[in-house]
Amino acid sequence: MNGKTIVFDALQGKQTPRPAWLPFVGVHGGQLIDAAADRYLQSPDLIVQGLTRAQELYRPDALPIVFDLQLEAEVLGCALQWADKTPPSVVTHPMSAMEGEGRTLDDLPAFSTDAGRFPIVWDAANRMRRGVGDDTALYGLVTGPFTLTSHLMGNDLFLQMFDDPMKVEQTVRFCAGVAKQVAGAYLDHGADVIAVVDPMTSQISPEHFEQFVRPAVNDVFDFVRGRDGFSSLFVCGDATRNLEVMANTHCDNVSIDEQIDLTTIRNLTVPRGKSFGGNLKLTVVLLMGDADDARRDTLRCLDAAGDAGFILAPGCDLPYDVKPENLQAVAQLVHDPYQRDVARTLSAKADDDFADIALPDYDASSPVIVDVITLDSASCAPCQYMVAAANAARDRLGEECPVEVREHKITTREGVGVMSRLGVAALPTICVDGQVAFSSIIPQPQMLCDTIVERRQAKGFAVS
Amino acid sequence: MKPIPDLTEAIKTGNRALATEATQRELDAGNSPQEILAALVAGMDDVGRRFKANEIFVPEVLIAARAMKEAMAILEPKLVEAGYEPLATAVIGTVQGDLHDIGKNLVAMMWKGAGFNVIDVGTNVPPERFVEAAKEHSAQVIGLSALLTTTMPAMKQTVDAVNAAELNGVKVVIGGAPITQSFADEIGADGFAPDAASAVDRVRDLVGV
Repeated sequence: MNGKTIVFDALQGKQTPRPAWLPFVGVHGGQLIDAAADRYLQSPDLIVQGLTRAQELYRPDALPIVFDLQLEAEVLGCALQWADKTPPSVVTHPMSAMEGEGRTLDDLPAFSTDAGRFPIVWDAANRMRRGVGDDTALYGLVTGPFTLTSHLMGNDLFLQMFDDPMKVEQTVRFCAGVAKQVAGAYLDHGADVIAVVDPMTSQISPEHFEQFVRPAVNDVFDFVRGRDGFSSLFVCGDATRNLEVMANTHCDNVSIDEQIDLTTIRNLTVPRGKSFGGNLKLTVVLLMGDADDARRDTLRCLDAAGDAGFILAPGCDLPYDVKPENLQAVAQLVHDPYQRDVARTLSAKADDDFADIALPDYDASSPVIVDVITLDSASCAPCQYMVAAANAARDRLGEECPVEVREHKITTREGVGVMSRLGVAALPTICVDGQVAFSSIIPQPQMLCDTIVERRQAKGFAVS
Repeated sequence: MKPIPDLTEAIKTGNRALATEATQRELDAGNSPQEILAALVAGMDDVGRRFKANEIFVPEVLIAARAMKEAMAILEPKLVEAGYEPLATAVIGTVQGDLHDIGKNLVAMMWKGAGFNVIDVGTNVPPERFVEAAKEHSAQVIGLSALLTTTMPAMKQTVDAVNAAELNGVKVVIGGAPITQSFADEIGADGFAPDAASAVDRVRDLVGV
């Protein structure tokens, strides 16, 4: 079963043998190939290079082609300001009377999926389709109709919702038409899933969502279904109050940000035959945290979501500077149930400082002490080899250089305590007299013997 | 203070026609400008409370703030005549590198609604501009907004610039989608507000009004 099948099953609410994993690599792809965001989003070559690198590093089941909610607005006459580490920002709102020229829909440039930067997107989509598309589901992200309306109208939108609701409805409907054109082109160029990304809807009430947004997004979702594609409604930001009206739209999947309670969205989507996804914390965990934080947050999501109808993804577009090792840590847990067990054991004990777990006085001990930290050598093959390597070195060195081997299983509190106090980050690991010597990789016998002999001599004991 | 229920209600519901009409009516009836202001502020306080409780959303706050603004346009000259001093003067802007203004505008409106004198220095504002504006207007508070994680460092630079300028007793309050209390503590900001309504409370606490 390849990644794409896992995503398709998850989208249909089915159980999956492991979590489906969708890192929203947008401008972050630029970081991976050392290209600034502005160059990245204006070059099909760079986009393909960034995504290809992301594919290697993060082993995703699905990838977005681009994450840029300004593509449609740019074609419709909004000016953009570019930046090094973020997607461009819309800086003019042509339909705003307060901040812009107060244009009408008829005055806007005609929309076309051949205009602006769209040809770049289609080129990248075609190439990704050929490159990884057999195994990886490709997401086409379209700007949601309400968010595109806010690009066009600026802050006028919020006031016009009360002053001139007809005009707002008409504009949102027009933007849904744009979204359908973009969705259609994405499907033509090999996308499997259309995500309607409508973050601005998190700023309005459920009543306003029903009035302005629901008919428009349903128009897009019905169109995508007619073309045999999957669809997702993706709202970055705190959409807590709108979850129910979101789940009532015609999409296959609802994707939510980090502020949302996963159990709530699961209970709103699964009974309606829909799937759900998102929720990994972008800023405090993926951007500012370390790999352990990423592991803990991954487990939190997986435990709350269960094993059916869930797509693990960050809450929104990955910031440029997210640490690749954090996303690799997520990927590791996605692909390896054993790593999930390890992380679960560790996270349960994270609050303990293990002050009472005593370490030997390594410097004073005549035998060199080899600590092997394992999950449990009885049930974990690499752990078994690691312990065997340590025992083999002890036997080989014999009387000439006495060695004491101790296994610490992290299925016990003592084991986790030793691991934590020795600063061990990966399993299995061999420490020689309290220093991490070999992590994850089983050492060659001679290499381990040399390390041990060196250490014994450094302590001032003779090696005969 | 004598309550003016229909004026307070006009602000709560964003009814600008009623807000301006009732303000004018109360002035014509000889009611004191301070009393009328108190009725308007009571309306905005209620809007802030409901926004914080997730009962209303950005559009509802914006129409309330617009009604407040139009009523204030009538009231302000009378307040000046009566020698009324604003409770506090606050400079507000979005930090350098960040062009997002919805959050900043909301806070500015809520602050105005609370009776503060608000100097809006706009978006993409360099640290020294905040300092200059605070000096020029003898502000007690500087409010910094950021939506992008990439512009959070600009917040720290602005706090550093304010500290370096040794502005007497000026407090810095920060907020925006990625901002947390721990980030505020880390960069030495005086206060953090998770939403526009809390930003009013924070200034009231810090300035003691």
